[in-house]
Amino acid sequence: MPKATLLYQDAETQVDAARIDGDQLWLALSGLEAATGWDLEPEGVCKSGICVPVPDARRSELIRDDLFNLTAFADLIQQPVAHDKKNSIWYFGPAGWEWKSRLTSRHAPDFTLPDLAGQSHSLSELRGKKVFLLFWASW
Amino acid sequence: MLTVACDAKGNAAVEPFIAAAHQQHPSVIDQQLLVAELYDTRNVPAAFWIDESGRIVRAADPIYAQRRNRETGEVAINTEYLDAVRDWVAKGRGSAFVMDASRLDTRLPELEFDDVTAAAHFHLGTYLAQHGEAAEALVYFKRAHALRPENWTYKRQAWSFGDIERDYGTTFQEAVKDPASGPFYPPLDLTD
Repeated sequence: MPKATLLYQDAETQVDAARIDGDQLWLALSGLEAATGWDLEPEGVCKSGICVPVPDARRSELIRDDLFNLTAFADLIQQPVAHDKKNSIWYFGPAGWEWKSRLTSRHAPDFTLPDLAGQSHSLSELRGKKVFLLFWASW
Repeated sequence: MLTVACDAKGNAAVEPFIAAAHQQHPSVIDQQLLVAELYDTRNVPAAFWIDESGRIVRAADPIYAQRRNRETGEVAINTEYLDAVRDWVAKGRGSAFVMDASRLDTRLPELEFDDVTAAAHFHLGTYLAQHGEAAEALVYFKRAHALRPENWTYKRQAWSFGDIERDYGTTFQEAVKDPASGPFYPPLDLTD
C-alpha cells in the first residue's frame, strides 16, 4: 500500500493510503481515527464531541466499502487541502466552523508555543491581565 | 507582553535577535506560522492589544519600538505609540486608542475560503522547504502568493528560502510597487 504524509494542521503522521486518485486520498476506515482523530459513528463522522452527519447524497463519495475519502470529507467541512503529488503529502487546514468565526468573534485565539529553551507558554496563562502581543520575524 | 517569532527557520534564525533584546517577557517561536495564521497577520511587525477578558481591542498595528528619521538617520524611541499603549494601560476600554467595531472590521476582515486555501498552500510549501525540497516548495508558495498577494508574510518567508529574482522573477522593490500586493503595512491610524 502506498505511503502518504498527512499534515493535519500541526500533527504529522505517516499513513497507508488505501487509494490515491489524483488529489483524492482514501484511507482504510480502520486507520482513520489514528491518522486524523475522526471516526465513523452511527451519528456521522465524529471527533472530540463534534459529529458531522454524512448526507445520503454524498455517502458514496465519502465511504466505499471499508474506505473513507478524506479529501471529499474536507470538502464537506470546508477544510482547505493542499497536495504535493511528488512527495505524496497532503496538508489539511482547519474546518469551516473553526476558521469562519475565528477573528470576527474578537476573542483572541489561544495558542501554546515553545520559547528558545523549549518551555511552553500559552496566551491563556495571561488571562486577567492586559496583553501586548507582538508578531515579529528575522526575515 | 508576549512576543511571537513567525519564523520557519526556527531557533537558529531568531536566537540572535532574542539574545540581543534581553527580553523580560515570554518570547515564543512559531516555526509553522500557525499562530500567524490564527491572527491573520499579513506582515511583521504586527501588534495586538488584548484586554483582561481575552478580547482583541486593537489589531495588527505595524509598529516598531524605534523609528529612524529618514533625513538625519537618527534613531529614536517611538514615543507616540508608547504613549498610546500607556494610555490604554491606564484607561482600559476608555482609551481613545481602543478600536471600535468598524475599525476592527477593517483590520480583521472576515476570512474567505481563499484565505485558508492560501494558508494551506503556504504551510505545505513551508514543510517542503523545511525538509530540503526548496524547488518543490516554490510551487505551493506561488499558489499562496497568487491567492493572497496582499499577504507579505507568505512572500517574505518564502523568499528567505531562495533567491527572489531567480525563483520569483521579481525584486523586493518591484514587489512593493505591485498594485496587486496592496500596502506593505496598513496605515497606523493612531489618532483618527
